[in-house]
Amino acid sequence: MPDHAEDEAKYYDDPEWADIEPIQQADQGPNPLAAIAYTDEYAEAMAYLRTVMARDEKSERVLRLTKDVIEMNPAHYTVWLYRAQVLFATHADLHKELEWLNETASQYQKNYQIWHHRQLIVSRLCPDPASSAATRGPPFPGAGIDVDSLVAKETSFVASMFDKDAKNYHVWSYRQWLVRHFGLWDKGELEFTEASIEKDVRNNSAWNHRWYVVNGKEGSEGVKEEKVREREIAFTKRQIRLAPQNQSPWNYLRGILRKANLRFSTVQDFCIEFADLSKPEGDDVFSSHALDLLADIYAVDEGRNEQAKRCLLLLKDKYDPIRANYWQYRLEMLDKEMGSGIDSHLPEHETRNLTSAVSV
Amino acid sequence: MSCTYSSASVLSSPDTPPGLDKKRHTRYWLRCLRTHLPSAYIPNDSNRMTLAFFTISALDLLSSLVPNTTPEERAAYIDWIYSCQIPSGGFRASPSHDLSAVKDGSAQWDPANVPATYFALATLLILGDDLNRVRRKETLKWLRCMQRDDGSFGETLVNGKIEGGMDTRFGYCATCVRYILRGKREGPDPTSEEQDTDVDALVECLRKAETYDGGMSEMPFHEAHAGFTYCAIAALHFIDRFPWPIRSQPSEGQRAFNKMPLRKEGIVSTTSSEQQGGIKTRGLTSPDLTIHWLASRLTATISSEDEEDTYADETDTPETCHDAHSFVHTANFPTSMGETSEKSRPTSHFALDWVGFNGRCNKVADTCYAFWVGAGLTLMNASRVIHPTPVRRYLLEQTAHIVGGFGKLPGDPPDVYHSYLGLAALSLLETAAQAAHESPREGRDKPVEERELKALDACMCVSIEAKSRLYAIWQRWGVHDGKDWDGGG
Ligand SMILES: [Zn+2]
Repeated sequence: MPDHAEDEAKYYDDPEWADIEPIQQADQGPNPLAAIAYTDEYAEAMAYLRTVMARDEKSERVLRLTKDVIEMNPAHYTVWLYRAQVLFATHADLHKELEWLNETASQYQKNYQIWHHRQLIVSRLCPDPASSAATRGPPFPGAGIDVDSLVAKETSFVASMFDKDAKNYHVWSYRQWLVRHFGLWDKGELEFTEASIEKDVRNNSAWNHRWYVVNGKEGSEGVKEEKVREREIAFTKRQIRLAPQNQSPWNYLRGILRKANLRFSTVQDFCIEFADLSKPEGDDVFSSHALDLLADIYAVDEGRNEQAKRCLLLLKDKYDPIRANYWQYRLEMLDKEMGSGIDSHLPEHETRNLTSAVSV
Repeated sequence: MSCTYSSASVLSSPDTPPGLDKKRHTRYWLRCLRTHLPSAYIPNDSNRMTLAFFTISALDLLSSLVPNTTPEERAAYIDWIYSCQIPSGGFRASPSHDLSAVKDGSAQWDPANVPATYFALATLLILGDDLNRVRRKETLKWLRCMQRDDGSFGETLVNGKIEGGMDTRFGYCATCVRYILRGKREGPDPTSEEQDTDVDALVECLRKAETYDGGMSEMPFHEAHAGFTYCAIAALHFIDRFPWPIRSQPSEGQRAFNKMPLRKEGIVSTTSSEQQGGIKTRGLTSPDLTIHWLASRLTATISSEDEEDTYADETDTPETCHDAHSFVHTANFPTSMGETSEKSRPTSHFALDWVGFNGRCNKVADTCYAFWVGAGLTLMNASRVIHPTPVRRYLLEQTAHIVGGFGKLPGDPPDVYHSYLGLAALSLLETAAQAAHESPREGRDKPVEERELKALDACMCVSIEAKSRLYAIWQRWGVHDGKDWDGGG
């Protein structure tokens, strides 16, 4: 451990912390694994953190200390939980906490604890947005919160995070939670996904969010409902026409068909727009994903097995050689088993070459 | 396309993949073992057990652990791991969380951690420990407390509350701990009489996190992600609820499960009568679509520069990537099979020499996904859907670093996480390449000593050799009669 009489010691020289006996790290015999060259600053803050944690102290100074530790080690898996308890116990201003989280989240974009903590704070501020008693929450400065302004702040913060990284997994997960918690299903969320997709038609996270907004509400039928389905299929087709070689909307389309239990042949003509096999080979394919879907459409129809094979061969040899082995595998499946698209029911395993021992 | 390392190495031809510079990688890992990791690792201080696992397991895969460490050193590493054990079961993730020295203090802020417990047990196995000092009964009890009503597992237990997000990574680690401590068999543990975790609930929970495109996410409706997909598939293996029979002769029960619960839509619950009939709910409702999703992760977009729309040949946005264009250009581009027959290298600027994996649709490739996806496919018994050579070349010529180890992207400095998963991926690729040559026409098995890296167990992510030590341990514990031992690997 570093010598705490160093000039830079932050806590050791501070009279406010004089009552604390810092707990040095009990590492670890002669051969510790994965030892890290701790900075003096980190080692000191952690030593004080261990002491206050062991005392389960809930005080304002602990808020400063936990903040200090989090800024150096945001993946600490108990310091966030501890901090939340201290915040609540000391009736700290949770709006200020959110402001601090705004800065920290921008700094540590890959950290998930920050988002979990944020969710905890916002839930505390507004435990039950549906009831008018959003003010029923625990007492804290400024209790009696304006739900709409909280939601506006949160969504605009999320939007600013998307400006930094439009595919940040944690931010999208948090956005889903906001929608669920505050019931934002019909409050412009679909339009938000549309704008995100317009900004980048290849943003798969935005497509996934759209799926959530359309299908994720409890009790909602989503694309099983005809009106919704038609709207979604039309939207997806429009996006595919903009960029046919974009896997996201093709997956989305396949998802709609599967969820609504529609035959894939429903979109056969649409697929042919991008892969017309009646034309001389190769010149009229604008999307490998159209060929992929066509192969499935033909595969479930025994009479057109040869056409399915042709799609798979084109993919293998010409339009998607990066996955040549996969298309070869699909060809073999087709040979072994008539009528097997990848969306058919799980086939009898005995008929497939997939039954040799798996590793575990 | 940036290519920092390839200039320093001899470029291999498409049919002779480059060799792994084992010395260089061993040096990298010995440095991690013997000297302090730099301060840049402070944000990972709470994952030290994970870093320890990567270090020890990487040296094991390289066959460099025993030759470079003394028995005394290995015993000290084992002691260090046990020093992180929590008396009430499980392991903490870092000695920096240790509050046990405090008299009259509260231990609630020093809880056991689910991933750390998996990494600790796995590292002990690799080091050849007999797991005798593991608080087995307590850990099994604690593990049960880590499971939520919805079947998912948390990360830690603080004041009786399960903390940590809904996350299949915790489910994966928890099933691996369960597997190491009591095998696959369900029901109360025969020796400790500790109750089992709720296996059915976990299967339901994993099924609900299947996404509309065939991948899996951490919880319902989140985006499909290769890491979560791997974790779900591997967890299903650990609890013996994978939808395909794992032996060539499926039993009547196994035959029946394929017919009964797997439908495209919805989650089919296990009713008690099904339970009585010995038929269990299986995970993964559409395995073929999951294989499709995994195979779709192959990408020639291997550096962020590739994402720029340099060619402006399609109506799209700045966020576009090579894959989006490749079909236009690959229209007159020979395939890997075509290449061999024409004996010429492709001239297209979309060379398929280097192929990586992304973790999500329309993202750039990243070293670690070569493991998450490759291992996922291996566990789906479908590793042959990828051509190993271009992936191998991507790892060795693009993301391997001159000082040893692997970075995330081409040109990135190595880090412990990508360096380990890069090796793990290479080991699986080696196994897959071997399997591809197993047909009597083309060749034969490589003897073990000719392997570059030890063979990896795709499920536990340790060498098969290390995993195999479990057999004797299970026999000693009396939790296993050897009948459902699958031999490892
Ligand atoms: Zn990575």
